[in-house]
Amino acid sequence: MSHDRQMKLGAFLMAGGHHIAAWRHPDAYASAGVDIDHFIALAQIAEKGKFDMLFVEDAAAIRERNPEMASQAARSTGFEPLSLLAALAVNTSHIGLVATASTSYNEPYGLARTFASLDQLSGGRAGWNLVTSASELEAENFASSGLRPHSERYERADEFADAALALWDAVDDGAYLLQDAGSFADRTKLHPVHRHGKHFAVDGVLEGQCSVQRRPIMVQAGASDVGKELAARTADVVFAASQTLGEAQAYYADLKSRLAKYGRQPDDIKIMPGISPIVGATEAEAKAKYRALQELIPDAVGVALLASYLSIQDLSAYPLDGPLPDMPQTNLIQSRQQLIIDLGKREKLSIRELARHFAGARGHWQVAGTPEQIADAMEERFTEGAADGFNVMAPLFPSGLEDFVTHVVPELRRRGLFREDYEGRTLRQNLGLSAPLHKKAG
Amino acid sequence: MHLGFSLTPFGHHPSAWREGGTPEKLGFDALLSQVEQAEEAGFDFVLLADRLGQRPTDDLSPVATPFEPTTLVAALATRARRIGFLAAAATAQHEPYNLARRFASLDQISRGRTGWVALPTAGDPGRDAEYLGLVRALWDSWEDDAFIYDKAAGRFFEPGKMRVLGHKGEHFAVRGPLNVNRSPQGRPVVAQFLNGEARVLAAHHAELILLQEATPENANEAADDFAHLLEANGRRREDVRILANVVPVIGESSEAAQAASHALRFSEADRAMQPLSAARLVGTPVEIADALAQWLGAGQVDGFTILPPTVAIGNLFFSDVVPELRRRGLIETKSGFTLRDRLGLSRPFYPAAELERVS
Repeated sequence: MSHDRQMKLGAFLMAGGHHIAAWRHPDAYASAGVDIDHFIALAQIAEKGKFDMLFVEDAAAIRERNPEMASQAARSTGFEPLSLLAALAVNTSHIGLVATASTSYNEPYGLARTFASLDQLSGGRAGWNLVTSASELEAENFASSGLRPHSERYERADEFADAALALWDAVDDGAYLLQDAGSFADRTKLHPVHRHGKHFAVDGVLEGQCSVQRRPIMVQAGASDVGKELAARTADVVFAASQTLGEAQAYYADLKSRLAKYGRQPDDIKIMPGISPIVGATEAEAKAKYRALQELIPDAVGVALLASYLSIQDLSAYPLDGPLPDMPQTNLIQSRQQLIIDLGKREKLSIRELARHFAGARGHWQVAGTPEQIADAMEERFTEGAADGFNVMAPLFPSGLEDFVTHVVPELRRRGLFREDYEGRTLRQNLGLSAPLHKKAG
Repeated sequence: MHLGFSLTPFGHHPSAWREGGTPEKLGFDALLSQVEQAEEAGFDFVLLADRLGQRPTDDLSPVATPFEPTTLVAALATRARRIGFLAAAATAQHEPYNLARRFASLDQISRGRTGWVALPTAGDPGRDAEYLGLVRALWDSWEDDAFIYDKAAGRFFEPGKMRVLGHKGEHFAVRGPLNVNRSPQGRPVVAQFLNGEARVLAAHHAELILLQEATPENANEAADDFAHLLEANGRRREDVRILANVVPVIGESSEAAQAASHALRFSEADRAMQPLSAARLVGTPVEIADALAQWLGAGQVDGFTILPPTVAIGNLFFSDVVPELRRRGLIETKSGFTLRDRLGLSRPFYPAAELERVS
């Protein structure tokens, strides 16, 4: 069986693994988070599996305020994403490199420059996952007196994205060192940017040649209304967290329906929900692997993580075996909060059960089973209007990624759902996205 | 002697691109090849000067590296695994938390071979003093042995060995801690070009000084002055390395070298384009090695950063001058892996450990 349309796959990297207790697993390499050769090996495994891209998340702060809680998890320190991906760029040849970076704690020239540099180093394989940063711990590292309201963060993000796109469009192909040229630069191919907006003043061009893929790929995970609009206007790829098929379909239909008003086609955005696959030779083996990881989660860590996803200070006042208390909406990550509350009600889960459930894949969709079962689950979402691909979050590295590449990828190929080899050298080519129209910047 | 190599695609002369300059020379592989030669020749570090923080408004300069320096260092460090890397970054262009984090990350990627060339903000010494102190404190967020990875007890790090800064100064408020482990060399090396009001800042913070004087005499004088300033600020001379920028022009004979130097004259327009300045040494490989040896013995200078005017002259320095320096015993084989090891700088103690040591 063969399909014209094939899945896109991202390998979401994270030190020892996505499972919150991965580092405690007997097979885990506990200091993986600061070993560049560990990450180079992961990148090469994903590239061997012909993944479209590597993905790295980010927060410009530690993730847990309470030192006692923080010290029981492996998430407090690690590489900064852009330097990490620059290092991986020159140790791989085809796989895309998507780094998360905040529009609230950077400024457009410097960030656009850094992504352009990653794009040059990789020969056109860079992508930027634009986030607006919701956490208070990040805000406290940047002199802010408090968090900006949700809508103002997005206003700044809108202007930031436009400035970055303008800078990436400012150098045409072949601007430097043309044969027989009398001068180093061909000024007719340079269009210095001059934008003076509400939040930023940006002047000049970026150093370096035009990107082989015209400009880095734009990625977002916005799930609020204003976030979805920004994605519909500017994103090439959207990551999403959906538990059920119904939720995923609703999100997919909603986002794709917003494209037309920006003159875009449904295919111009690839929607890639997260999946945490636990692969076993039998279903029982996969479930046993999952249980072994779940049992390593200290209750305190799971509950603290759950509280942080719910954007509340503390859940410890409530009984662990009771339901979630009612809580007000915050201006933080509203969508994920709702997803957790819905799951708790739907499945009648206690705080402890919800904590363990979410701690595992941090709110993403988990599938434990045989390669066939995992491929079935992915195929269903891919063919039923819920996904164009998946961001694969292996619970344990490197074994979880190796299992996926060795067992699940061949099964997807047998079904004609995934590529045998890369279509091109740039991330844009492999995602099957057309080159953006060149706009003269101004 | 300590040796650095300033990296550009074609050389430091603004017309160097005219000799065989192709778009490929602007690419990573061509730059890596220069770095590999410097590493093989026994250089201690590669310098990425980044136009001293000046942004291009109209076009790329032929004497600038066509990559953002910190990302280039990350990439180079995985492919050249012995030499150190210095990247310039301006305090005006980065939030202190982001800058401290990027360099801490580079130091993990390079396993302790990174340094930051701090480019101060003109006219704002108070902000810079706070900035550099803050970056250093962020680099000290974690004690060396904070991470214990105790799987059985479920303890990834010792909570008492994490330091939350809670910094609230005149210019910055930063909670901390940094979300990167303490550096394999304690802290990345802090370097500075020595000019104007930045001298006092350098006397407090810098561990590597890069001199831009146009003659050896001027450089020796500047080094002497700085050595006094260091002492006046309560720091020891052995805690700092002072290197002078040198443009070598090399020929097979003295006459050929003079002719090459003539051809590589800088016009005023050229000077404006070139962010770095240096003392020019002209001669045969033996003459250049003699001049460097004499300079090294004459004063406070501990070594040199080589700014080849063209890539071809850079190659001549590696192939012909370096063996002369080795013959004179001036390039030692360095032990150790970190940039600090290579520069002979001691590893900074974690502040708490230092208190214990003193008491």
